[in-house]
Amino acid sequence: MSVCPPYAPFFGFAGVASAMIFSTVGAAYGTSKSGIGIAGLGTFKPELIMKSLIPVVMSGIIAVYGLVVSVLIAGGLKPTDYSLYAGFIHLGAGLACGFTGLAAGYAIGYVGDSCVRAYVFESKVFVTMVLILIFGEVLGLYGLIVALIMNSRASEAARCP
Amino acid sequence: MSEQAAPGKLAAQADDAGGVLTKLIITALALGIAPLSSYFLSRDYLWAGNTIYAALTAIFAANLVLVLYIVGAVREESRLRAREKQQSESKKDR
Repeated sequence: MSVCPPYAPFFGFAGVASAMIFSTVGAAYGTSKSGIGIAGLGTFKPELIMKSLIPVVMSGIIAVYGLVVSVLIAGGLKPTDYSLYAGFIHLGAGLACGFTGLAAGYAIGYVGDSCVRAYVFESKVFVTMVLILIFGEVLGLYGLIVALIMNSRASEAARCP
Repeated sequence: MSEQAAPGKLAAQADDAGGVLTKLIITALALGIAPLSSYFLSRDYLWAGNTIYAALTAIFAANLVLVLYIVGAVREESRLRAREKQQSESKKDR
């Protein structure tokens, strides 16, 4: 078993792709699910639309987390002198960010949908909605922090013989 | 009474609809541009190549855009409410 097999960059690029893909799936789910509620709110109270678009903006931030991790990992990929250790680290970092982004987008979608529907009737729901959305978005942030920590270990990989 | 109020409401809504769209476009562009640019610029000029601090700067920039959007949305709603109160008071004076 060699330390630097030629298929090692496959895992690195899979990490880059999975960070972007899964966090975008989560962001798309959050945007679409909360968009349903916003469309419902818009027919009754159009003046509340700006405030009710906050779940959509937060879903966009989940996708930005995936983008930042993808850029970060892609900056550390090399054509040669790339060990399997570094490849697995990059894959793990990408998957950590991607799946936590998926979870965060899921939470933001459901919370955004039901809270903007309730916001039509009770204006005090707004602060509650923002608080719950922040807690949902922090899930994606945790995944990003773990991805950052993992990615920083990739630089200590051994030189290839 | 509602038929007379409806055109005024429609005009006000059209006035605000353009504002909502521009705010959204600006927010979407800022969400795309700010984190990436802050990542690369801070990595090269601020943190001397340290990628973790650069990524944290990018996260901070993205959340800053979010906070600015929330503040803008809350302020717009209070501005709308003040305008509505002004209109109802002017109607009362008549």
